[in-house]
Amino acid sequence: MRPFSYVRPETAPAAVNAFAMAGAGARYIAGGTTLYDLMKLDIERPEHLIDVTAISGLDRIETSGRQLRFGALAPMSAVASDEVVLRDYPVLAESLSKAASQQLRNMATVGGNLLQRTRCIYFRNGAGGVSVGNRYPCNKREPGSGCAAIAGSDRGQAVLGQSVDCTAVSPGDWPVALVALDAQVELLGPSRTRTIPVADLYRLPGRTPHLEFTIEPGEIITAIMVPATDAGRLSTYLKVRDRESYAFALASAAVALEMDGATVKRARIALGGVATRPWRATQAENTLAGKPLTPELALAAGRAAFGDARAGHENGFKIELGARTVAEALTIAAARKRA
Amino acid sequence: MTTAPFRDRPRVDAHEKVKGATHYAADVPVPGMLYAMTVPATIVKGRIAALSIEPAMRVPGVVRVLTASDFPPAPPVDPGTPPPPPMITAEIAYRGQPVALVVAETLEAAIEGAEAIRPVYVESPSFSAVIDSPGAVTEPATKDLTEHVDIGDANRAMAGAATRHKAEYVSPAQHHNPIEMLSTTASWEGGHLTIHEGTQGSNLAKNAVMQNLRLGADQVTVKSPQVGGAFGQKGVWQRQTTIVAHAAMLIGLPVKLVMPRGQIFHNATFRPKSRHRIELGADASGRIVAVTYNADHQQSRKGEFAPGYHEHTPQMYGVADYLGTAENVRIDTQPPGFMRSPYPHPAAFAFESAIDELAEKLGADPVAFRLKHDTMVDPINGRPLSSRFLNECIVEGARRFGWEKRNPKPAATVLPDGTQVGWGMGCGAYPVKAHPAIATLRVGADGTTRFTGVGHEMGQGIRSTLQQVLLRDLAIDPAKLEILIGDTSVAPQHSTAGSWGTASAAPAAAEATAKLNAAMRKLLAGRNISGNLHHQLAVLRRPFLEVEIERVAQGQDAKALATLRKGGRALAGPEFPQFTTFSYVAHFVEVRVEPRLHRVRVPRVVSIADCGRVVSPRTAASQMRGGVVWGISAALREETGVDPRYGGWLNNDLADYVVAVNADIGDIDVGFIDRPDLLINTVGAKGLGEVSMTGVAGAVANAIFNATGKRLREMPFKIEHLL
Repeated sequence: MRPFSYVRPETAPAAVNAFAMAGAGARYIAGGTTLYDLMKLDIERPEHLIDVTAISGLDRIETSGRQLRFGALAPMSAVASDEVVLRDYPVLAESLSKAASQQLRNMATVGGNLLQRTRCIYFRNGAGGVSVGNRYPCNKREPGSGCAAIAGSDRGQAVLGQSVDCTAVSPGDWPVALVALDAQVELLGPSRTRTIPVADLYRLPGRTPHLEFTIEPGEIITAIMVPATDAGRLSTYLKVRDRESYAFALASAAVALEMDGATVKRARIALGGVATRPWRATQAENTLAGKPLTPELALAAGRAAFGDARAGHENGFKIELGARTVAEALTIAAARKRA
Repeated sequence: MTTAPFRDRPRVDAHEKVKGATHYAADVPVPGMLYAMTVPATIVKGRIAALSIEPAMRVPGVVRVLTASDFPPAPPVDPGTPPPPPMITAEIAYRGQPVALVVAETLEAAIEGAEAIRPVYVESPSFSAVIDSPGAVTEPATKDLTEHVDIGDANRAMAGAATRHKAEYVSPAQHHNPIEMLSTTASWEGGHLTIHEGTQGSNLAKNAVMQNLRLGADQVTVKSPQVGGAFGQKGVWQRQTTIVAHAAMLIGLPVKLVMPRGQIFHNATFRPKSRHRIELGADASGRIVAVTYNADHQQSRKGEFAPGYHEHTPQMYGVADYLGTAENVRIDTQPPGFMRSPYPHPAAFAFESAIDELAEKLGADPVAFRLKHDTMVDPINGRPLSSRFLNECIVEGARRFGWEKRNPKPAATVLPDGTQVGWGMGCGAYPVKAHPAIATLRVGADGTTRFTGVGHEMGQGIRSTLQQVLLRDLAIDPAKLEILIGDTSVAPQHSTAGSWGTASAAPAAAEATAKLNAAMRKLLAGRNISGNLHHQLAVLRRPFLEVEIERVAQGQDAKALATLRKGGRALAGPEFPQFTTFSYVAHFVEVRVEPRLHRVRVPRVVSIADCGRVVSPRTAASQMRGGVVWGISAALREETGVDPRYGGWLNNDLADYVVAVNADIGDIDVGFIDRPDLLINTVGAKGLGEVSMTGVAGAVANAIFNATGKRLREMPFKIEHLL
């Protein structure tokens, strides 16, 4: 709990300008469901908060064109209950409705959700804030301090994309679904507007686990665009966790299928809960292409998704669980009715 | 004395709670109040070499910082009463221990000040964080009956057994996590200290403060009229009480502390990890003839929470040869303590699993096997059990559940989609205890009625229970009935825990109503005045009628009342002079295990309890369902983790300490035998809060075995254990 300044500009350019004026230590804040949490844990220590929730028009949901467009400030609950999204893109609706609680989904925005930070227990509970009292080294929090998780309690850690410095899982559900559907994100910065694939928003930890996103200083997410696709109908987000709601994924799979009868024309698969970033499972997709979907093939695809996985000492089960989660998700998606 | 069943009534505080109008301790507004924050130790073991308060004092709004040097030395040991909690000390015995208290004009300033405190520690070169750590010291338990039971000759009987089963079962460390945080609000005015605190033992809190700060009994009042969940966490003294009280006295203004949950994980008691090594032996006829049972659990270096895991198992199934032993394993944590069904829950998980395993070996049906081990004798002392309707619970539960349709073959019940279905059952018992009580009852001509007595309302419904007795016995206006409990200024308060609340408070209310009705008859002197008591008093021109009663539990004498008046612990039972008394329960559980992901779901539970007379059907049913929910949560979800390299608790928040959520829970059908035990008290009530949870986890484990053929012996059962 440290003092900070607070402004609430009414346009996106004004917000970007306020950020530039504030200089180091500035943070944008929307729903606040992550940032306030991390401030209480003494992990985030912003000096200036720029609240973007007064920007008008940034919460629009457009579903009629060749792409779906979600304003960054649309609440998770609004997108999750949108009729078109529910009917034509269950993978998107499910990834949102299976996250957090209804109260949090009412506050959190679909833009802010993309930048949620890891739930690695050593990252969250080790900053020494008075609300917790633990202190753990963490290369993500304090670069160069070491990683407590790798030799520690690593049941929740990643089996894909980890480095010698960090095994923290990318916690999101929504970004996983977006990566499966080749979604794009629109960014407004001090000097330009740019659009990049959602997948390119995330870095691998490598030797710099404190750098998590490719977003540039001062840039703000203004919208998320999802190319319209019939594959959305045959889609699902399957989330496996330690309880049936209000928990992060141990393993999850976002799946969308283009089918020709019983044969898979094209599959889109992304993984959550098992990797250091939202993980597109290209090998699994290739395993399926052009073949009839059988339970055996589904499991083979699941196993292919984890071909490069490496286990720690307590999280090896995630490789088998993840493979079966992919297989189960493929089965669920294929059983959905087409338009 | 009527022994008819009680009628169903809504709970007295339901409306207030639904409106959000209920005031918990931290909600009580106190004018001029300051806010405090504790600074948690960031080492596991050692001492503070230096602590500068300057960085905190520089934070605008910070009023004062209290450190070890502000506190008096620990009071001399008073033999016979448990020592009060340590205050702030320079010695560090566990991670998260409070090393300073920052008091400020706002909560934000208090937190900022607390974050600015960076003590210089001298760390011990090593510490023991878990029971397998080097430096953990195993210590045999005492000769207390619940820790050491040696009846018959269990080793000889075991050697002669035709069939044996032996296994180790493990119950993890768990934390209570009531939604209401630990909090203390203290005001020092005119030489009197008033404390608002959510506690199950307002007199325990009072005594701790009196002893630590050398105050007289007339100088301290503790008020705990509503507790937002306790479960044993608030049944012992809380470390922050004296610390906050002392701050209020030094500063001269009221001070409030609400401890953050992460700190509570480290400062409150918890359910220690325990290991249960059980061997059961059966004779050729399939009857259990021998039990050897060794339990150990994690203990703090100076903790006193005894490994009393033989609290109910010797009396369960009429086994004459039973050898029970127990040990402490001392390590560097805060002291463990009581958490709902502290001993019988982990013991029943182990014992009911072992019974199921033995029955399986014998080819016996788990229900029939238990039914044939019914008993009416306490094998330890040879006295009768005053009432025992365990078999009635089992029979009724089996009937409602449809047990006769169960396929006994493991992994043999599979739905068309591949889902495995399993049915299991488990039983439990909980000792019945009671304490003395002092109560007053006053009925006014103005329509009011006021009952003051002993008890704490933690959500279990003790006010509703008292109301039931008062409204059954008195012709009064229910709308103007006031029940004052949990306040040391209205009556001496025994702690409310161990499922002894109803069996202690309800008979006191019954005695008070009997005395008041007798006094009224005397006043009427044969005249016949219509209307309720208020009307009768008005006609008689009496402003009010008041009675006071004192009562002791079975086998207690006036010494117990003296102990109660001093705010001490004065418990009788479960061994009473003429008999032994337990409450009983039987749980039937259906699990479904997904074909490919192997997630376990619990769609259906039937639980039947023998808790004597059910005084408040509404809150009793609710308490049963809560116990079942927690049993499921304990079996499948909850565990507090430790990284042995760092000590302390790893998953110290509600996101990472996984309690069951609504979506985890299916149908829970609860029922009661509802037969009064009139030997134990005039109301016939035994106890319910803890027995309701006891045996659920074993039933879940047994159902998983029936579904999958896999025997899980270490809780919690997670997805990776069945993959």
